Amino acid sequence: MKEVLEGSHAVSEAVRLVRAKVISAYPITPQTHIVEALSEYCADGRMDARFICVESEHSAMASCIGAASAGVRTFTASSSHGLALMHELLHWATGARLPIVMAEVNRALGPGWNIWMDQSDSLSQRDTGWIQLYCETAQEVLDTTLQAYRLAETVNLPVMVVLDAFFLSHTYEPVDIPDQQSVDKFLPSYEPRISLDQQNPNAIGQMAPPAYYMEMRHSIQMAMQSVLANFNDVEREFEHVFGRTYGPITPFACDDAEYIFLMAGTSASTCRHAIKTLRNKGHKVGVIKLKMFRPFPYLYVRKSLGNAHKVIVLDRNCSFGAGGIFAQELRAAMYASGNHPQIYSFIAGLGGRDVTVDHFFEMFDYVEKADYPENESVWIGLNHDN
Amino acid sequence: MCKINQKTISGSIMASKYPSNDYIMPGHVACPGCGAVIAMKFALQALGPKTILVIPACCWAVVAGVHPQTSLKVPVLHTAFETSGAAASGVRAALDMKGDTETTVVAWAGDGGTFDIGFQSLSGACERNENFLYVCYDNEAYMNTGVQRSSATPYGAQTTTTPKNAWKSHRKKNIIDALAAHRIPYAATVNIAFPEDMMRKFKKAKDIQGTRFIHAYASCPTGWRIPSDQTVAISRLAVQTNLFPLYEVENGTDYTINYQGDRPISEYLKVQGRFKHLTEKDHSDIQEMVLEDWQLLNDKSS
Amino acid sequence: MNQSIQTQSPNNVSLLISQSRTNTLGNKTGTWRFVRPKYQEKTAPCSNACPLGIDIAMVEMFASRKDYHSALNKLLMENPFPAICGRVCFHPCESACNRQFLDQSVGIHHIERFIGHWGLSHAKNFDTYPELNGAKIGIIGAGPAGLSVAYFARRLGYRCDIFEKSEYPGGLLKSGIPSYRLPDRILMDELERLNNDDIQFKYSQSISMDQIKTLNEHYDALFLCCGDAHSIALKISGEQHSIDGLDLLHQIRSNKMPVIEGTVAIIGGGNTAIDVARSLLRMGAHPIILYRRTRKEMPAHSHEIDAALKEGVVLKECLSPIEIQKNMNQLEVKFQCMKPGDITDGGRQTYIPDGNCSVTMPFSHVVSAIGAEMDIMWRNDQWELSMSHCQMKRIADQPVFWCGDLTTSEKTVTHALASGKQAVIAWDVMRNQSQNEINHICHQCQVGKGPAISFDIYTNGERKNRNNTEIVSFERVNSAYFPKIPAIQVNKISQESCQNSFNEVISGFDETQMMNEASRCFNCGICNDCDTCRIFCPEMAIQWDKSNRHILLDYCKGCGICIEECPRDAMNLEVEP
Repeated sequence: MKEVLEGSHAVSEAVRLVRAKVISAYPITPQTHIVEALSEYCADGRMDARFICVESEHSAMASCIGAASAGVRTFTASSSHGLALMHELLHWATGARLPIVMAEVNRALGPGWNIWMDQSDSLSQRDTGWIQLYCETAQEVLDTTLQAYRLAETVNLPVMVVLDAFFLSHTYEPVDIPDQQSVDKFLPSYEPRISLDQQNPNAIGQMAPPAYYMEMRHSIQMAMQSVLANFNDVEREFEHVFGRTYGPITPFACDDAEYIFLMAGTSASTCRHAIKTLRNKGHKVGVIKLKMFRPFPYLYVRKSLGNAHKVIVLDRNCSFGAGGIFAQELRAAMYASGNHPQIYSFIAGLGGRDVTVDHFFEMFDYVEKADYPENESVWIGLNHDN
Repeated sequence: MCKINQKTISGSIMASKYPSNDYIMPGHVACPGCGAVIAMKFALQALGPKTILVIPACCWAVVAGVHPQTSLKVPVLHTAFETSGAAASGVRAALDMKGDTETTVVAWAGDGGTFDIGFQSLSGACERNENFLYVCYDNEAYMNTGVQRSSATPYGAQTTTTPKNAWKSHRKKNIIDALAAHRIPYAATVNIAFPEDMMRKFKKAKDIQGTRFIHAYASCPTGWRIPSDQTVAISRLAVQTNLFPLYEVENGTDYTINYQGDRPISEYLKVQGRFKHLTEKDHSDIQEMVLEDWQLLNDKSS
Repeated sequence: MNQSIQTQSPNNVSLLISQSRTNTLGNKTGTWRFVRPKYQEKTAPCSNACPLGIDIAMVEMFASRKDYHSALNKLLMENPFPAICGRVCFHPCESACNRQFLDQSVGIHHIERFIGHWGLSHAKNFDTYPELNGAKIGIIGAGPAGLSVAYFARRLGYRCDIFEKSEYPGGLLKSGIPSYRLPDRILMDELERLNNDDIQFKYSQSISMDQIKTLNEHYDALFLCCGDAHSIALKISGEQHSIDGLDLLHQIRSNKMPVIEGTVAIIGGGNTAIDVARSLLRMGAHPIILYRRTRKEMPAHSHEIDAALKEGVVLKECLSPIEIQKNMNQLEVKFQCMKPGDITDGGRQTYIPDGNCSVTMPFSHVVSAIGAEMDIMWRNDQWELSMSHCQMKRIADQPVFWCGDLTTSEKTVTHALASGKQAVIAWDVMRNQSQNEINHICHQCQVGKGPAISFDIYTNGERKNRNNTEIVSFERVNSAYFPKIPAIQVNKISQESCQNSFNEVISGFDETQMMNEASRCFNCGICNDCDTCRIFCPEMAIQWDKSNRHILLDYCKGCGICIEECPRDAMNLEVEP
């Protein structure tokens, strides 16, 4: 059923459809619309779930961990400082191998307080072992959330579904909302592989001394390594039931490209417009939208980069002292392959500043003229008068 | 000859039957004479097998068993330090959604994880009147990490972060009053030297809906520098000197005192290494504080 | 070493997490300890003070649980006559009782009486005398000592013949102790315990030293239990006017009530003097006890003196009679006043005449009760065996044991009973092993610091596992487990009834009172199954196995809480070997 939905509500609808049983959340702009809708669903009976209004994000993740350990499907959402506050427990959720799904609205970190779009918050958590999937449209948000549960429950790793603050969370788009029956077919009821067991009382999550710990960590890595294959299986099923598919990356006009842009989030839509204009001018240029960031889909990226000799990476984030994070990850991914295109790192659009088609032209011009990339990321769109 | 069930057994502390099955197994690695183990022993006896424990970082996180062992006969969820209130809320919500209304969810945390770092999530849970029992076993310092002070450390005590020359000069936080202010249905203090009272309160708490809080005095020979056989004796003295009064608070307003002590605080202080440095003037200052607190408590209960 | 939980997902996704798959029973934490606990029963101070060494703590334990059968059996192990001792014993147990340091001593005396009394209605005949062992002993005198010899000897399988010069058994129990202390009925009922074909009483048979040698041929051993038959004379001018106190008691007991009225002087300070005074009071006379020292030095039992004074007997101290003169129907007695002299090395206060101070008082009668001594023929000072309560010498190659008042320094019923027990055990050791073994074996059977010895231990009862030399002190009792409860006051008849009749003064406890009083007993040194150790053990290392409590040494860390909390010092901590 097609409806014009706010990006946030695409998440809410998906969570309703997956029949999550325990939702625990703390408000932070711009995640609030997601959880407000869910609390209404719980109140009026559209969802049969318990909504816990916890007193901090840390507690939100803690109660999801508690609920998931007791064997039910859970959900939470956060952003920016809230996500940062959860950091300790993001590690915990992974170590506990719990299939928790969280909507993460990409927002800047203060001071100064900034509620607008920025990728630094989710990328700061890239070492926690969560699967990270970045979305570009409201439809993708809904679909990815549905897929996230299936994926999480298959590999027993938590999943972060990421959407841009305001650009995606607060804009309205037509969305095809699936019917409950189809979702139930795609995502059967949750059968936990780990949970507290009353019949044979067990302890979960205890101290693991050196003799045992490393194997547990290796197991997480092994699970991460199986994510790509499992994601593809999930997508195949999804396409079969709903007729849509996304892939871990979405290449556009990359087949013969000499220059390929790489980015995640809504910027990819803007970039495609820039690409069309540049193509009309005769430039062989394409764009890869990165959906899956963790695990980093290096095989797909390498393949799509083909024989392009210049890659233009847009980071709406910065790891101070090292530069744009997508660029770093790409460099690491490409190092082991036979192909070593030049990787140009640009930082733009922090804290909600728009990234426009002109910015992409600026990046392209720069790269076209450059012989080799700078050591440091190049910042685009700075106001030198500020 | 019937052995246990005799009310006429001279000097028996359990005129009623104390069952022969325990919910803790031997072989756990608690220090010899650990009061926190005795507290868990009585708690589980009263609560029974339909119990799930949520245990944050604390001594019991280790005593409950190091992977791949468990020392308990009930399920245990280990959780991060400050999260007991929240994690227990989550477990309770999940059980409710699964239709299980019989299992008691019990958060079992030390004083650090309750009074300090865990206070927020506990307060949040109390305000929401989450349906679980929260037990703080109080050994009055961060014992698991090496006897550092917490806000539960009593005035006058020496710890590794309040050494002899800078002993703790802040009074112990009154956790019961702080939580009673949330109007939770039940809050109570218990002490391992009074097992009948302790088990009665656990049984009572078990049957109440909403957030129930029990503050359990659990002496620590290792951290308090007392011989390991004094665990119960010291606990008894704490109540007998009115330093740790036994009382209950219902719905945040109805206070009931269960025991009236009459011993001077010096008797309690002078036998513990952690108070060895105190002077007579310190003893009398502490005695005044005890009297003051006792008077405040009495005022509330009348 | 990959022992984590491995759960296979359908897609074979690795899932190793921190999760339990076994328990901690594999950790033998017993290796941590350097001291270990042990159940070790000890001797209660009451047992240590009791001349018979009765296992009092056990008796009280059974009594408080209404297990009268077991309580009685425990008593009968050491004392054949609990119903009697529960009336006439001077109860040193109560003076030693640890409970006095908390509130008040336990009323052991009256509890013994209750159990003994129960025995009279439910277990009068002793039904577990063993088979005979082929030997036969002769007993001279059917007083407490002789009866005790018969009882313990028969329990060891000996046939016994008791020669008694009067027509009745009991000795002073019958003729000396007034019925307001020991009713006749009780005495006769209690003596039925000795109803056995192999215990023969031969009445009206007075035996002299010459006859001993003849008797020797018929018996394997002889036991002299004739007591002190002769009252000690006043040895003052006019003593022929005085009445012998023991004779007087005997007459009263035989219901040949002599007519004695008016003010009567009773010379003496022992139990006989008290008994005479209280008896005379009941007969309507006005008794005055005159004693040469003060009340503190009187050898009579303190509670007896109290009772006498309360009933109206008058006591005049520091007066020693020097002359009796008859003046018409009065007797005028002249007394030397006495005053305190030096204190001996042993700490005793001596009394000496106070110069020429004297006083003369008129009385209607004078009764002499200054003590008794044995018949000359039994005097002896060469012994082959000399123990605390008996002595032995061979006559014509046969062992003859001197028992009871003949040998004991304290002349009480309880000491006489103890004497009989000791002599029988000594004889049995002699017969089965040798004379050389006696001291050693008696030492093993000793209760506390002695000299009482336990028949239970001698016959290999469970009491032998007790640590007999360790006596429980109050410091070792954990008084936190005992709320203060005052002692129950025993029922007595009214003061008026005391003065008017020979009815038994003390009525004793009823069942509820007895159980409440017995519950006050700490049960020092014995395990009464309170289970405090198991309740507090933080290692769960104290477990039940049917009815046996034991310590799991694989896990015990030696914290010592069990020893500290044991309310009654029934556990010890020893160094880990």
